[in-house]
Amino acid sequence: MLERRLYFHIDWALLLAILALCGLGVAMIYSTTSDPTRDVSRLHITQMYAIVIGLIAMVVTLSLDYRTFADKSHFVYIGMLALLLYVMFFGTVQMGARRWISLNGFNLQPSEFAKIGVALVLAKFFGENRGTPAWTDLAIGGVLTILPLALIAKEPDLGTAVTLLPIFGGVAFLAGMRMRVLGVLAVCLLLAAPVAWRFGLKDYQRARISTFLDPSQDAKGAGYQQIQARITVGSGGLAGKGFRHGTQGQLRFLPVAHNDFIFSVLAEEQGFAGVLAALGLYLFVILRGLEAARLSKDRLGSYLVLGVLASFTFQVVYNITMSAGLAPVKGLTLPLMSYGGSSMIATLAGFGLILNVRMRRFTN
Amino acid sequence: MAVGEDRRTVAIRLSVLQVLIALLFSVLAVSFWVLQVAQHETYAELAENNNQRTLALRAPRGVVFDRNGTVLVENRNSYSISIDREHTKDLNQTIQLLAPLLGFEERAVRDIVDRHRREPTYRPITIVQDATLQQVAAVTSRRLELPDVVIDQIPTRQYHDTMAAHLFGYVGEVNDAQIAGTEKLKSGDILKSGDVIGQAGIEKVYNNLLMGEDGAKIVVVNSVGREIRTLEEDRASEGQRLKLTIDEDVQKALENGFKWSGFNGAAVILDPRNGEVLAFTSVPAYDPNAFASGIEKSAWAALNTDELKPLQDRAIQGRYSPGSTFKMAVATAALEEGIITPDFKVFCPGAATFFGRPFQCWKAGGHGYIDLRHAIEQSCNVYFYTVGNMVGIDRIHKWATLLGLGEKSGIDLPNEVQGLVPSPEWKKARTGEKWYAGETISVSIGQGQVSVTPVSMAVYISTIANGGTRVTPHFLKAVDDGSGWKDAPAPPPQSTVEFKPETIKAIHDGLFLVVNGAGTGGGSRIAGRDVSGKTGTAQVISTEGGRAAKGKTNKDLRDNGWFVFFAPRDNPQIAGVVFVEHSGHGGTWAAPITKHVLETFFAKQDGKPLPPPPGKQTPPPAPSEGDDPPLVLPGRVADNTPVAPQPRP
Repeated sequence: MLERRLYFHIDWALLLAILALCGLGVAMIYSTTSDPTRDVSRLHITQMYAIVIGLIAMVVTLSLDYRTFADKSHFVYIGMLALLLYVMFFGTVQMGARRWISLNGFNLQPSEFAKIGVALVLAKFFGENRGTPAWTDLAIGGVLTILPLALIAKEPDLGTAVTLLPIFGGVAFLAGMRMRVLGVLAVCLLLAAPVAWRFGLKDYQRARISTFLDPSQDAKGAGYQQIQARITVGSGGLAGKGFRHGTQGQLRFLPVAHNDFIFSVLAEEQGFAGVLAALGLYLFVILRGLEAARLSKDRLGSYLVLGVLASFTFQVVYNITMSAGLAPVKGLTLPLMSYGGSSMIATLAGFGLILNVRMRRFTN
Repeated sequence: MAVGEDRRTVAIRLSVLQVLIALLFSVLAVSFWVLQVAQHETYAELAENNNQRTLALRAPRGVVFDRNGTVLVENRNSYSISIDREHTKDLNQTIQLLAPLLGFEERAVRDIVDRHRREPTYRPITIVQDATLQQVAAVTSRRLELPDVVIDQIPTRQYHDTMAAHLFGYVGEVNDAQIAGTEKLKSGDILKSGDVIGQAGIEKVYNNLLMGEDGAKIVVVNSVGREIRTLEEDRASEGQRLKLTIDEDVQKALENGFKWSGFNGAAVILDPRNGEVLAFTSVPAYDPNAFASGIEKSAWAALNTDELKPLQDRAIQGRYSPGSTFKMAVATAALEEGIITPDFKVFCPGAATFFGRPFQCWKAGGHGYIDLRHAIEQSCNVYFYTVGNMVGIDRIHKWATLLGLGEKSGIDLPNEVQGLVPSPEWKKARTGEKWYAGETISVSIGQGQVSVTPVSMAVYISTIANGGTRVTPHFLKAVDDGSGWKDAPAPPPQSTVEFKPETIKAIHDGLFLVVNGAGTGGGSRIAGRDVSGKTGTAQVISTEGGRAAKGKTNKDLRDNGWFVFFAPRDNPQIAGVVFVEHSGHGGTWAAPITKHVLETFFAKQDGKPLPPPPGKQTPPPAPSEGDDPPLVLPGRVADNTPVAPQPRP
């Protein structure tokens, strides 16, 4: 179990940065949702509970050796698929999507945990192979990713589903996938794009993309959020409008400000200074995570770290880009800051694994 | 592959990733810098426009009171419903939703919108001006779906139906010509589109006083247009309050008199000592309330095409032949010029010949020997033909003018027209012909080309009443700019001549006899009040003969009746004119209407209960005897239409 020695090898700096981002998130949720003139909101309290539960999950994921987790990864993976299937048939429907399992008033979103499952199983799979992955390896890895991806996309939750792809890409890349393969994959994606556009996307998804290319074509409809996001961020200026003094978020020009657009609120209220601080923290967390991958004693550790980090990074970069109105609006939360229990717990559990790999770099 | 090589691959690829991530974050940082620092001002402004709206706060116009402090014109709150296109997502959808809420056809709403489509989008399109409470409630209940529909509370003018309509005038939105004109407001502001200003009457003349200063309110609204809080409020300041010289009770009595008669006409009643107008009417009137929140096109067209011309203010814009009421001007001229004394007598055989032409008196057998007082009392034409001929047209013109005839009265109402007392100079300029002495004869009894406005007649009789001061009729008694009432100075008289006491005495005696003696003004007699006055009956057929051919009913061709009066005979406190169109003899309706007005005036003065409005059950007393028969002029008349001899009914 957790030896005293290991305790000293915990990456406290990373943990601190993570907690700082969580704190920032809670503050922004408080700022956007608790307005005395509206219904009393306790979302920031809920978020704090989620952080506490997430920290407990983190303790769990760093207590046992990551290799133990990897050895059991097939169970984790199968359990995860079972949960996703369960959601598919018995999940709770909210806002037109069947994504949640209801547990005594607490809604669990299994798709968030699927990221950890996929990261574990891919790390284990590629970690057992040596050398450059063969075509067959890539195919098997791909299938392992596509299965949960398809189930999640079916909910529908395309945003979360897509975050599984970077896990596969990241792990395969680190495992030594040939650059040629990468090129082929890129070409395939390009060719698949029109097909996906035609058959794979729902109308609202198509609308989001086409308005992204020209937001003004529908300034009050689908382009509205994007324009509002830009206004929100741009009006923040250098120093921001001050805590709880943002007009865009406070007056709800920005939809789901405490969730998808929390970074916009930060940009509005804390300005460019706040943005730099948050970007710095995220960058630090990511680079520190890559450092853990580099320090890892074995390839399994590196792959696992990168798997977890890949979806995290993808989500962070995409959400921040979107919150500045520079990417199509997508229901993709900002890990560590956005409101959402499952995401918070899953993310902290994931970082538990990263800390795990780093602190056990000297153990056998 | 060796483990070492694997590790190296991992190390290299991790480095690649590190660099990539660092680059990505740099790009993000630069993007945010561009948005937040480089383009900050653009977005800051957009954000402000997003959540701030400036609402106009309309200032109520000043309240108008009568001389005793009774409210005559006030304001009520009305609601206007408009579409603010700046906040419209889908105009079609808004129209579709809004139309049924207002109870309108979609087509109708679309038409209104189309009419204003080219205007700048920041100017809301008003769909309903004076919305009903149901409409307001219906729209309010759906405001979440209609963030672009604005309900404004607007103070709107409220008048007592048609009372004194021409006096108050009406308000309306300023037009482009008025904006372009030099009209500047008291506050120094320039009129702007959408401002409501006085367009007629007192509302127009005293617009600068009555108009308040609009305020503005900057509010924060949320994404569905709900007002969250007020950032800044610049309160609207109400216009100044005016106290008019009008006495509401006298005004009502006057209007009730006209209603009782059923005729059209005009009346102006003054305080002859200072020119304060106590009552003022022109019938038929319009309802100024119809203009208060924007008059509909059809209503406006109807008012304009109405043959009775309700928009015309007959009191200051109607020109009529004065008939026998003109005789005092000739008498004044003759006495003041020393041509006759009050005892000067003329023999009236019923007709007389001047310059080879016969001129008739209305009384077939004639009045016999008659002096000035009785010539006024009896309205003897031959007496005034003779005296007029002696005085001559120049001096008649001079004294008629000093009495206020043929001149503008200077009343504080817009668009007053001038009457006409002919003179040789005028004729020369007008037609190039010289004056024929024969024309003086018809002028002497107020026929021929003499034409007067009722208001100038009111000045005329006031000047006779007060002994020579041509007061300027006016309505403004006091102004309250918020710091208490301040008396408005009365405008100076237009001219002042001190008449000789015997002139005043003789004419006043004659006028007294008209009412209290054997004259034709008995219909206005009030015991103990010494009402003095003169009836006049002016034929219409000669001047409007052309219209006879167009199938007018007899009623339209009946004579116009006049009654000029003052009371009491000594130190008159009230004077004026009642002019009743096509009512026949001046004693038939004009004098009884006057009687009701005077009874009301004196009852109020004595603190006694006011007389009830005259009812239909009391038929007007017929004049005791004929007066002022329509004069059949030989030859031609003023407007060169052939004279059709008209039998008296």
